[in-house]
Amino acid sequence: MRANVWSGRNTVQVENVPDPKILNDRDAIVRITSTAICGSDLHLYDGYIPTMKKGDILGHEFMGEVVETGRGVENLQVGDRVVVPFPIACGNCWACKHELYSVCENSNPNWGLAEKAFGHGTAGIFGYSHLTGGYAGGQAEYARVPFADVGPIKIEDDLPDEQVLFLSDIFPTGYMGAEMCDIKGGDVIAVFGAGPVGQFAIASAVMLGAEQVIAIDQYDYRLQMAVNKAGATATINFGEDADIVEQLKLLTGGRGPDAVIDAVGMEAWHGHGAIAAVDRVKQAARIESDRGLALRDAILACRPGGIVSVIGVYGGLMDKFPTGAFMNKALTMRTGQCHVQKYLRPLYEHVKNGDIDPSFVITHRLPLGEAPNGYETFKHKQDECVKVVLKP
Amino acid sequence: MSAKAAITINLPREDVERRWTSSAPQIDGDVTFKDAPGDRGTEIHVALDSGGGPIDKLKGTVPLATAKDQLRRFKQQVETGEIPRSEGAPEGESVGRKFKQRPAQPLEEAGAR
Repeated sequence: MRANVWSGRNTVQVENVPDPKILNDRDAIVRITSTAICGSDLHLYDGYIPTMKKGDILGHEFMGEVVETGRGVENLQVGDRVVVPFPIACGNCWACKHELYSVCENSNPNWGLAEKAFGHGTAGIFGYSHLTGGYAGGQAEYARVPFADVGPIKIEDDLPDEQVLFLSDIFPTGYMGAEMCDIKGGDVIAVFGAGPVGQFAIASAVMLGAEQVIAIDQYDYRLQMAVNKAGATATINFGEDADIVEQLKLLTGGRGPDAVIDAVGMEAWHGHGAIAAVDRVKQAARIESDRGLALRDAILACRPGGIVSVIGVYGGLMDKFPTGAFMNKALTMRTGQCHVQKYLRPLYEHVKNGDIDPSFVITHRLPLGEAPNGYETFKHKQDECVKVVLKP
Repeated sequence: MSAKAAITINLPREDVERRWTSSAPQIDGDVTFKDAPGDRGTEIHVALDSGGGPIDKLKGTVPLATAKDQLRRFKQQVETGEIPRSEGAPEGESVGRKFKQRPAQPLEEAGAR
């Protein structure tokens, strides 16, 4: 089959690789009909997530048709149309029983490796480094789906791929980011990053009853999408005004947002001055893996007693975490890779009911063979790119 | 030098002890079982007779690392019914594979099942 593989920093290529095979009873094989490039794939592409290996098949947002099932998979039949959640979860361990699927205790066969980095292992993730298991990803014609009796959701109506594909990651991820804000009437939510996940965090904050949602980015076209499609009520373009914290205070009568969502993660680009410069140098030299500009500002901007919700991906260590602001302002931080399996059914219902059409983020549709161009276009925000969908 | 490891299995203690006896992981040391608090299942505590020496380290057969693999695999087997396998680590959790990963792309040979 054809698959998009990582070949070193800033290089991916579409190659012929062996077809996947059933390895365990609870596996299924899916013929992929749609797959996408995620913002977090760019962290791999840029070489900031350790334990990548040349030849790794990328991709963790995909859907398709079941073509084979292992003996232990009774809920799926050949021919079923499914969306596959990006975390691989066994459904049996204590974490899964408590709907903490992204920290499944069993699905990562490189648990010992992850334990060294994080203190504990976390769930396996498709196409997302060997720290999360070394699983082949879904930017390919076929994928093996472990624990297929737990993860995939059957799509039993004729909604097009583009409306349900993002149930695999970015819609639930944005939703969880908003849910972690414990939104109550009158709340003002600020969302750092108006990329695909930020767009869904904004849309979800609106769905969950936020009074005002402020979108923050450096690209006007993304801020326009945030207002016109996702429902943001105000925007800050930090390319024009670098002092995000001050701007957020001005937009909230000096209070600061009740909760702030970091939908940026480890490669934040805003910020000027000495600290930002030091971050860039340290990250380039691989001394600091996580550039913390968005998270630092999120903490400084959040109103005292508020919540900082972190769904942007971090991979290692960051410097100058503002512990003083975090502690003295009595903030709560909530975070995590999304527990997608928990959100699949309710968010699918929202899509079916027409409450949201997640396809609004798609700006580019390419054949799988064009994946390398898709990565470059997405990385450099060329051609007003927000989201790239690949068709195998 | 003594070496210790522990893991929690999300099953009642009698089930864990029965499965441990029937699958008999090869661990040279004391193994004790303990109810975990609340709904957290059963703790297995292992105290190895020997922590291993520098030769073991060179050979990649440090008893503690090997015992941890066995505990993880036992947990996976009894909780999920299988040993999760990836394309990068097709044998499942294994200290020997940790730094010698395959690329995450399908294997040429057929599945072992």
